[in-house]
Amino acid sequence: MQQKTTQLSLKSYLDLNQLLTIYKGSHEENRLFSLSQKNRNSIVILLAWLEKNLYRVTSELESAKYLHYLTLFSSLFGFIALILGFSTGFALLSYSGSEPVNVIYLLLVMVGLPLLSMLLSLLSIIFGNRGANFFAHLSPLYYLERVVNFLPFAKKIEFSSLPFSATLSKWIFLQRVQIFSFLFSLGLFLALILMIISKDIAFGWSTTLQVDAKSFQTLLATLSLPWREFIPSAVPSLELVELSHYFRLGKHLDSNMIHNADKLGAWWKFLAMATLTYALGLRLIFWGVTSYLFKQQLKKEFLSLNGVSKLIKEFQTPFVSTQSHKDEKHLEIKENIVHKVEENVDEEYQAILGWNFSDEQLLLIEDSLSIKAKIKEPVGGKNSFLDDKNIIDKLKGDILIYVKAWEPPTMDFMDFLEDVLDNSSIKSVNIAPLGTAESQYKYTQEDMEIWLRKLESIDSDKLGVVNV
Amino acid sequence: MSSSYPKFAVVGHPNKGKSSIVASLALDDSIQIGNTPGTTQVKRAFPLKVDGKIVYELFDTPGFQRARRVYAWLEEHGDVPASKRVDVVKEFVHRHRDNERFRDEVELLEPIINGAGVIYVVDASKPYGAEYEIEMEILRWCGQPSMAILNLIGDDDYREEWSRALGQYFRLVRTYNPMTASYKEHIELLESMAQLNEDWTKPIKQAIDALNRHYELKIEQTISTISDYMIKVLSFVHKQKIRGEEATPTEKKRAKEAYKKKILSYEHKEQESVEKIWQHNGVEKSKEELNLERCGLFSEESASIFGLSQKELIITGASAGAITGGGLDLLVAGSSFFLGTLIGGVVGGVGAMYGFNNLYELRVLGQSIGKRELSVGPMQNLNFPYIVLGRALYHASLMAKRSHATRGVIELKNISFTEEIISSESRKILEKVHIKLRKGKEITKEEQEEYTSTLHKSFLELLKS
Ligand SMILES: Nc1nc2c(ncn2[C@@H]2O[C@H](COP(=O)(O)OP(=O)(O)OP(=O)(O)O)[C@@H](O)[C@H]2O)c(=O)[nH]1
Ligand SMILES: [Mg+2]
Repeated sequence: MQQKTTQLSLKSYLDLNQLLTIYKGSHEENRLFSLSQKNRNSIVILLAWLEKNLYRVTSELESAKYLHYLTLFSSLFGFIALILGFSTGFALLSYSGSEPVNVIYLLLVMVGLPLLSMLLSLLSIIFGNRGANFFAHLSPLYYLERVVNFLPFAKKIEFSSLPFSATLSKWIFLQRVQIFSFLFSLGLFLALILMIISKDIAFGWSTTLQVDAKSFQTLLATLSLPWREFIPSAVPSLELVELSHYFRLGKHLDSNMIHNADKLGAWWKFLAMATLTYALGLRLIFWGVTSYLFKQQLKKEFLSLNGVSKLIKEFQTPFVSTQSHKDEKHLEIKENIVHKVEENVDEEYQAILGWNFSDEQLLLIEDSLSIKAKIKEPVGGKNSFLDDKNIIDKLKGDILIYVKAWEPPTMDFMDFLEDVLDNSSIKSVNIAPLGTAESQYKYTQEDMEIWLRKLESIDSDKLGVVNV
Repeated sequence: MSSSYPKFAVVGHPNKGKSSIVASLALDDSIQIGNTPGTTQVKRAFPLKVDGKIVYELFDTPGFQRARRVYAWLEEHGDVPASKRVDVVKEFVHRHRDNERFRDEVELLEPIINGAGVIYVVDASKPYGAEYEIEMEILRWCGQPSMAILNLIGDDDYREEWSRALGQYFRLVRTYNPMTASYKEHIELLESMAQLNEDWTKPIKQAIDALNRHYELKIEQTISTISDYMIKVLSFVHKQKIRGEEATPTEKKRAKEAYKKKILSYEHKEQESVEKIWQHNGVEKSKEELNLERCGLFSEESASIFGLSQKELIITGASAGAITGGGLDLLVAGSSFFLGTLIGGVVGGVGAMYGFNNLYELRVLGQSIGKRELSVGPMQNLNFPYIVLGRALYHASLMAKRSHATRGVIELKNISFTEEIISSESRKILEKVHIKLRKGKEITKEEQEEYTSTLHKSFLELLKS
């Protein structure tokens, strides 16, 4: 079995969002799907679910559009950053020949600027959402974003329909900014290397501030701490620092400097290492951190996309089905009733039978309804068929059968009734449904209708239903 | 040959509520239930499956029709030790499979001789009769674990005499009313069934566990359906093109109609989804249509059915004055919602009354003629959200509590509701969202979550009542 591992990415995030607007699956499907997955991690299952169902999105994928522009935009800006870095480096290192290239100046651009921008990134990482807005205004990115919104293609994507939160957009942006800055520094670095190779550059340092060579060297040595052990030659010595100090307002270039012009070139190693370490290396770390934080935020928002919590819940909740799979053939119920209930009841019958009544109950009924008969017999109930048959055989004339109105007529009763009707010495058979003793034997209309409906199936002139 | 999962056959006299009990336990409203004896003609299996695997199975069966004859046959052929009696029953079934006269008995005995436990149903609102003993004897011959259920179809109560008689045949006798049984009672009945046989305890426990989780899920899905619906309804704006400079009265009327129709269709869809969640497929409703005009006609004396009274509205902060307050603190990031509302409420004072008659906000948008639009909504009436929400929650609670044995029409009116269901504390939370939607603003995920969890709490209260 092949198990593709789809990665959580902006694409899967956007795709899932789009898929969920048109399809959510049923609990049964979703649960079965999750059970078919080996991995129990929600995100992994969600990604697999996405992969399985993405074909349902038949319109253009929003992710395709968005990612296309994101890539376009990123490469464009990346390229610009690289060129910008390179040309800045080129400009800075252009050596007029009359004055050495000021190391302080170079350091500010090659190390100071990146550090400052990293500081801004750091602030916006630390202060999260709330701080982000404030610091955003300080950052050139903020303006970059405005600019992007003016770009013609930006209007083609409805940014508002994308599910990104401000925080996620921030991470997307921050992460890209690290790349752009990296490329900028790389451009600078390349320019430096290129100039070193193709030209002989004299470096010097000069500042209006009162800084002596000693303390300047200490600062430089501190900056060189990360590589001092491995490349000692890339740490400017005190001698070099003293040598390359120059004063713009001084009448002339130090003759020492001119003398040692070749030694002054040794600065480049330091500058290269500083750029490599601070502008490029540290930037990579920043890139790693922002990428990680971006992933975390993406994960969080992935899990809180509209409909995802429902999906996860369905993945985790056993699917219970309780219903029958076979359809029921519904019984046709006759509505019209032809039988009439006879209201005039005789005072006396040849025989009274009590279907499912006991002797005592029959006595109580006689007492209460005062209908007389010579023969009074309980039938049905716990009687054997032989008992019942013997009773039927001795019947003749008009007979009355009490039945419990609330008990629906069973086929057992119908069999019995047929046997009674078959007896030719019986002139009439009157069924009297009775209510409970507590209700003075009054039946309910509903119960009576059930009886009437059932008795319709018997076609006999002898049969009648009475209300006693 | 008996399979590993427990089975239960629901048997008894005709018309005593066997199918009703099965419908209620199997949450299946497609079962035919009727007061004609013999409604159920063949047995029907209702497996409870968890993730596709059967955990237990219920059988609905036809009622006994010729119990005496069956018993006579058994006695005639049953001169065997008690342990072998089940074989006689098996033989009976085998011999009469094609006999039309014993169709019902064959149908109902078959699951039992295949290992199903017996659930014997009687109507204990009617007196006991000795004729039932024949049925119970037959069941005893089957030698399966068995219990009896006292169903109360009518108003009287003969449970005592029934229990005395049933106690001689059945180990367990329980009362269960399939029409009114709550979810808790449903589960309790399952627990009783689990006691019938040691081997069945575990699967039934598993089923109960799965049912519980499923129940929770249904509640959650109901609430999220209602919450989505509320947001849709409250923020809905209907737009239509108009021809001239100003909208004509007909255009206005048509726009209002269209707006109303859409709102009603949202409600319809919402109710349908909720009914589906609770597996009620054929619910007939006699309900008062959501009356948009009337939710504005609201005086202090005549409390509307679902909406809030004037006083409640003011307390809630939904009054016109409070809106200003509410708006104020939305500006200061919602930190002082209560305070802001309080101030707003006081400043607004009698202004609170105004809100009642703002029903639709009609606006003309756009500059050039031919491109002008008339827009209706979002609904400005302050009571509107509570009426809509009240109806939705009430309907959902009816569906959640409704037995699958019920076939009647449901009534969606005449319920006084707001006070108990939504506490004034919760109302404040809800109102925060209502205010934003009324203004056509988007609400955040966090706000929706808070809204949903407030609804959840209210719904649970409603389920208890
Ligand atoms: N009020 C009330 N009516 C009930 C109850 N249980 C069943 N009924 C009614 O009793 C009648 C018979 O119910 P069924 O569930 O069809 O009975 P049955 O035992 O399956 O009937 P047959 O399939 O005909 O054997 C129906 O009209 C039900 O509505 C109850 O608990 N309360
Ligand atoms: Mg039935």
